[in-house]
Amino acid sequence: MEDNTKNSDARIYEVGYLLSNSIEEADVALEYGNLKELISSLDGEIVSDEMPRDIELAYTIEKIIANKKHKFDNAYFGWVKFAMDPEKVLELKKKLDLDVKIVRFLILKTVRENTIATKKFVAGGAVAKKYTPKVRAEGEEAPEINKEEIDKEIDAMIEA
Amino acid sequence: MKQDYFSSNNIKHIDYKDTDILKKFINANGKIMNHKRTGVTSKNQRALALAIKHARFMGLLPFVAK
Repeated sequence: MEDNTKNSDARIYEVGYLLSNSIEEADVALEYGNLKELISSLDGEIVSDEMPRDIELAYTIEKIIANKKHKFDNAYFGWVKFAMDPEKVLELKKKLDLDVKIVRFLILKTVRENTIATKKFVAGGAVAKKYTPKVRAEGEEAPEINKEEIDKEIDAMIEA
Repeated sequence: MKQDYFSSNNIKHIDYKDTDILKKFINANGKIMNHKRTGVTSKNQRALALAIKHARFMGLLPFVAK
């Protein structure tokens, strides 16, 4: 009963983040684990997530870390969707603000359902129908085509 | 008249991570297209603009291209 009331207060959030490309590929998994642990420690229930992957940024992001300006052209982009109490999210934000390995992050309200549609609509949503030839019943033959009649019909169409 | 892309593809939530879809609605300079050009409903156009802005913040889409 207590759990139910607790869950009704929880909202679905999503945090998208960019990890600095100065960290090693092997340590990315570690950071990813740490973030999930942080969410769990704030009574968050993880709904879905994606491993950070190296992406080329659309523009150079600058960030001052320890009084030094750093420029990033590449970063590891990952996201986690979770259910959490609205007040706890502020705590999460404060903790993420202090993390030097995170270049940028974005916390959004979202829904539990999967919101990514790209995989379903590859090539602009046009899914080619597979050609399946009609199976004719036995004994039934294709109607003969009368060339003369077709010619007449075409002539009539041209005249019209 | 052009049909709403999101309604016709049954997309209920426009996600900022879906850059392949969002790229259809920005022009060569990286600007968000006019709703007259996109043909999406007003409600979806607002959600689309927000999603593009979130994607720009995260470096997934450019603020200005070229």
